[in-house]
Amino acid sequence: MKYQVIHITDYIYEFPATLCHNLMFQIPQSNAFQTVEEYSCDISPKPSSEIARSDFFGNKYLYFSVERSHKKLTVASKSILELLPPPWISIRPEKTMPWEKVHAWLHSIEASSDIRQYYLGSSHVQLIEGIREYALKSFTPGRPIMEAMSHLNTRIFTDFAFTPGFTDISTPLAKVFEHKKGVCQDFAHFSLACLRVLGLAGRYVSGYIETLPPPGKPKLVGSDASHAWIAVYIPGHDWVEFDATNNLLVSDKHIRVAVGRDFADVTPLKGIVYSGSEQEMKVSVDVQALEEELAED
Amino acid sequence: MIESYLIDKMFNNAPFLDEMATDQGKIHPQWERLAKYYDQVGPERMAQFHEEVGRQLRENGVTYNVYGDPNGMNRPWMLDPVPMVFSSEEWDTVEEGLVQRTNLLNLVLSDLYGPQTLIKEGLIPFELIYNHRGFLRQAHNVKIDGDQQLIQYSSDLARGPDGKMWVLHDRTDAPSGSGYTFENRAAMTRVFPELIRENHVRKITSYYQTFKNTLSNLTTNNKENPRVVLLSPGPTNETFFEHAYISSFMGFTLAFGEDLTVSDGYVWLKTIKGLEKVDVIIRRVDDVFCDPLEFRNDSHLGVVGLMEAVRQRKVLVINPLGCRVLENPGLMAFLPKLSKHLLGEDLFLPSVATWWCGQPKEMEYVFEKIETLVIRNIYRGPNHKSIFGGDLSKAELQALKQKIRRSPYLYAGQEMVEFSTTPTWMNNKLEARNAVFRSYVVADSENKSYKVMPGGLSRSSPEQGAFLVSNQTGGMSKDTWVLGKAKDAATTVSKPIRIQPLVRNVLPSRTGERLFWLGRYLERSAYTVRLMRMTLLSYNEADEDIHIQENPVLNTLLQTLTSMTSAFPGFTDKSILKNPEPELLDLVRDIEKSGSLAYSIQSFLSNAYAVRDRLSLDTWRILDSISEELTKMRQSVKTLQQAYQSLDNMVVKLMAFYGLNLDNMTREPTWHLLNIGRFIESAVNNCTILRGMLCVSFDTESNKELMEDTLRCNESLVTYRYRYRSNLELQGVLSLLMLHEDNPRSLIFQLLEIDLHLRTLPNREDTELFSIERKKLLEAITKIRLCDVDKLAVADPESNGFDALKAFLDDIIELLHDTSDVVYEKYFSHTGSSYKMIQTSVIPEI
Repeated sequence: MKYQVIHITDYIYEFPATLCHNLMFQIPQSNAFQTVEEYSCDISPKPSSEIARSDFFGNKYLYFSVERSHKKLTVASKSILELLPPPWISIRPEKTMPWEKVHAWLHSIEASSDIRQYYLGSSHVQLIEGIREYALKSFTPGRPIMEAMSHLNTRIFTDFAFTPGFTDISTPLAKVFEHKKGVCQDFAHFSLACLRVLGLAGRYVSGYIETLPPPGKPKLVGSDASHAWIAVYIPGHDWVEFDATNNLLVSDKHIRVAVGRDFADVTPLKGIVYSGSEQEMKVSVDVQALEEELAED
Repeated sequence: MIESYLIDKMFNNAPFLDEMATDQGKIHPQWERLAKYYDQVGPERMAQFHEEVGRQLRENGVTYNVYGDPNGMNRPWMLDPVPMVFSSEEWDTVEEGLVQRTNLLNLVLSDLYGPQTLIKEGLIPFELIYNHRGFLRQAHNVKIDGDQQLIQYSSDLARGPDGKMWVLHDRTDAPSGSGYTFENRAAMTRVFPELIRENHVRKITSYYQTFKNTLSNLTTNNKENPRVVLLSPGPTNETFFEHAYISSFMGFTLAFGEDLTVSDGYVWLKTIKGLEKVDVIIRRVDDVFCDPLEFRNDSHLGVVGLMEAVRQRKVLVINPLGCRVLENPGLMAFLPKLSKHLLGEDLFLPSVATWWCGQPKEMEYVFEKIETLVIRNIYRGPNHKSIFGGDLSKAELQALKQKIRRSPYLYAGQEMVEFSTTPTWMNNKLEARNAVFRSYVVADSENKSYKVMPGGLSRSSPEQGAFLVSNQTGGMSKDTWVLGKAKDAATTVSKPIRIQPLVRNVLPSRTGERLFWLGRYLERSAYTVRLMRMTLLSYNEADEDIHIQENPVLNTLLQTLTSMTSAFPGFTDKSILKNPEPELLDLVRDIEKSGSLAYSIQSFLSNAYAVRDRLSLDTWRILDSISEELTKMRQSVKTLQQAYQSLDNMVVKLMAFYGLNLDNMTREPTWHLLNIGRFIESAVNNCTILRGMLCVSFDTESNKELMEDTLRCNESLVTYRYRYRSNLELQGVLSLLMLHEDNPRSLIFQLLEIDLHLRTLPNREDTELFSIERKKLLEAITKIRLCDVDKLAVADPESNGFDALKAFLDDIIELLHDTSDVVYEKYFSHTGSSYKMIQTSVIPEI
């Protein structure tokens, strides 16, 4: 499947900002089942300095600063990617390692720190009370890890109501757990908390997914959004991705951009701006399947 | 004196070892001379020496701040006249141990931020590092030149029951105290010169020479004359005194986060001349507060983009960001093994016994012994205080255990060391107090080694048998004496220092702004005092039963006081006017009341404090006495009589401050900005007094009296009499206070002074001869020069007031405000660099 993604962020200030420094995590990378054919980023006004780097988690990010007066900042990322079905599609869940064994392996020096770092709590993934009990209902003794994870994924999908506006980035996980409401990011953080409280490695994946319009209606440009899901580490199979929001084992419709411990590590765009005024932010994401268009031609 | 100490030690000091006395009641050899000396001088002279030491420190303005205590600012620094003493032989061991430990920690640090072999091989548990908030992922693979990544290291040491020195804490982020150590030594040298000479106490100055050399070696830019700034969290920080002290003595520029900005990858200092490139930052700001873009976005102490500038190697930050990961009590448990592995040596200096709870066996041991242990979080922070197991109830212990069980790797148990006592001058005799010694180690990059300061900061506990030793809780500091010649005395002579004192004195804009306000508050306070004195005199003379509204002189004085202090409604409110005493007292002593004298003086002092690195030591003594007078004023002024007395004292001290600066300050931008502030404020107050006192026409007697008071307020009555030898006439008064260029109290004199100082500031509009602020001022000057005093001194027959004079003065005041605004905008506007965090706040909603 081939996709084009256009991700545009606008910051509009009431009074001109004189200076801003920013970090942008919007650069997708290629792997065995995701090939980035094109990526470009347009920033206006033109940054005074700009440098692409790799972070601790292996993501590419862009640091840039705008050092002159501006009332609007626009960052437009555009990518064209080819997705293949990931290898984990063919795993038979019942054949995977019992989760306790995975735990034991992770806690030995056999496992590398790159993997182990994802079983520790993090700022948005708090290992609060009650989570362990919730997780243990899926992670029953001796259960193969992938089977248990699928079960947990479905439970979260069923128990939690998708409720835009109920949470924001600062909402503590305890509130999400108590009210069983939230959006993709909250479900991802909650899934991670369940894994990590058991000492299993889970990481946050940020990216995009195409949303399909209701039957018979045209798809609106910019109506898509960035998305978040998780990956669990299964020895022998590497990272396997689950999407609790859609009750899915991720296949070839998810475009991944960055991974980290939680949202804070991969915030799509964050910055410090020198300005006395309030700002308004607009984000639009547009995901299009390209091959279908070509087929129509 | 010594005899009784020895006896006391034998019977009452168990279980502690003592630094001076042996268990058999003898004196350790390194203390012999001192003990003899103390016996010779006796308690009375010791008490005098103690006072003398305190006086030396006070005179040098040595202070520290206590957090969370409203009166905790600028506490005098306490120094025990009795030092901590190391014999030459023992010091050799300590020194060797410290160098080894620093080398070891440096290797660990380099590995953690590089290949992480130690974690891969299981020598350091992964959880101990990855759970530590000082492990900065952003700093991974970011190195400074050479093998030494840890540049400054400090540790707290104490003597354990086995007689050896043990390490209690490692300090690797931004260790403090070395400035105090220098001040302690300076005070001791002045009070005990012979004692120091006879004991061959080693000098500690080489520490900073080595430090300077290392900076110069390490910086990649501008090696010959690097611009070094010391980044301080600001004047309310506990150890702000030493930030200012170290800056001025090392030739660094003292800077706060708001003084610096990142542009084009470089770090720049905002000065009144524009931006100047910074090559090295010595930071006293904690790691995660240093860059709100990459670390804590709620920090206003840091520099946005600093981490990226470090990555681009355009600035050198010391200690490098990330060193705090070594401030980790859990790590202590692994150091012996690491020493063997990395250095092939046993660890010379033992750490206090530590069990890291991240290992099941160790956790069980900690649980078993919990009542005898200190429980520490592996990360030291305000929310992670050490817990003494013995202080907890059964229920609390259970709760603690549960907390540890939930995240065992965050905790370590440490033995409570019964560390030794040292003689301390207390209650007019020598008493045994538990003491801790802080050492200072610095990289010597030229010789690829580490140098230990032969001395350091020792601190003793306030109570007998108390282990909590900290200045925050009222402990006392001690100088630390290492006796005898250094082994390698010949080789410690380092190359001449390469960092030259700055030729041009850089003035950060924020410092400039503070100086400007310092000048303004100085004059505001002085004018307020003078007008208040007139008012109080007039009030005391007034008949008790008369209504103030019917007393034109007193009423006018009160109204002018309100407009000068801007403390409205004040005396414009008739009910307050009926009973003016409370308002008058508040205007003198209420520090919360904006515009009151106490408020102005407090503002004066806090601006002075923020620029303390720019003021001379003698100035500090005067500021101290102003501060004392202010405290007295606030606490003991209960009547107007007392208020008057206090005003008298205050005005003399304020003038002493001014006089001293006139004598001492070099004529640099600091001086000019102080004076621009001063004269703008004087001119505005001068106008306010003339406008308030002379613009209404009453009976002749009252007007005369008001003229006299006006002259007195400006200290010009004598001049008037001498010049005019006549009765008071409005024309004469106005001429003297507005037009006479040779009268320093005249408006024209004040305006010309402002211009004189403005001229020296860099004019950024190159093309024009006159800057905007000088044009505004020129307008005011010209207006005054052209004015016709005879016309201004005629009352308007309709309103019965001097309306033309009033309008004239209003014009001048407005022009002064304009000038001030332009100066502000031009030289200080970028100090108001408020910024905030923005981020994708819309949650992906799918």
